Amino acid sequence: MPTLTPEMVPGLVAAGASCRMDAEVAPKFKVGDTVRARDINPLSHTRLPRYIRGRTGRIVHDHGVFAFPDTSAESGTHSDPQHVYSVRFEGSELWGSHANANSCVYIDLFDDYIDPA
Amino acid sequence: MAHDHGHNAPPSDTAMRAKALETLLTEKGLLDPAAIDALVETYETRVGPRNGARVVARAWTDSDYKARLLEDGTGAIAELGFSGVQGEDMVVVENTDDVHNLVTCTLCSCYPWPTLGLPPIWFKSAPYRARSVIDPRGVLREFGVELSEDVEVRVWDSNAELRYLVLPQRPAGTEGMSEDELAGLVTRDSMIGTGLAQAPAG
Repeated sequence: MPTLTPEMVPGLVAAGASCRMDAEVAPKFKVGDTVRARDINPLSHTRLPRYIRGRTGRIVHDHGVFAFPDTSAESGTHSDPQHVYSVRFEGSELWGSHANANSCVYIDLFDDYIDPA
Repeated sequence: MAHDHGHNAPPSDTAMRAKALETLLTEKGLLDPAAIDALVETYETRVGPRNGARVVARAWTDSDYKARLLEDGTGAIAELGFSGVQGEDMVVVENTDDVHNLVTCTLCSCYPWPTLGLPPIWFKSAPYRARSVIDPRGVLREFGVELSEDVEVRVWDSNAELRYLVLPQRPAGTEGMSEDELAGLVTRDSMIGTGLAQAPAG
């Protein structure tokens, strides 16, 4: 591994390191689908927050294919490419009668976080 | 003691850990410590919310640019020279008369660095992260933003790899202002969604 020098900093900062992967992976869902977040409780890394688990939402956008963080965290490299969707959850679905009026949460969910509802 | 820190007290655990890591990385030949100075300098003086303000002001004055920004946030932001770490995949969401957007990261502190710089302390705090999703209107009220219940509040949890920038509404009474003047009205908080763009001075 090369030594990180001050000369390398501007290029690294400007380029970043996208987790988007150039892989041909078929989406499991499409915009408009109603989905339920899986009730998974891994002791390892995940990007599926507890407050979403088991809740039902609607896919509003397909962001494309990204590395799956739950797997990448274990393998140490971008792995397990899959589609990521913007999913809308109504406030009442998440918080019941305590929800704010006319509110919702948009969250980004991987194929492996959701099932058809 | 007259105050709660001794001037001869050892550094905090966090500072000690950072020093230990820097020493280890340097001794293993992975890091020239001057690179750390270059990174700190970058985010202290060159990358911050004035970048995002330029994006917003351009969108307010150029409808074609705004259309590209909402369609492909990363590409349109890069047109103004802003790209890179923690802005690799950007989504821009537009506030309107009917919709107000609020950005949070319930899992940690994800934030669009190229356009907003490093996140403020409150954005990383557990109370903001927890309450922004369950009581966004209450949080907004504490930031001085009172919204009618007719306005839908959309909270964007940047839990995965996308980073979000709010395009605030252009304030009334700004017709004829230049792009530079408009950028001066765009606050950091208005691009997180915890504030609105400022009204022009008298």
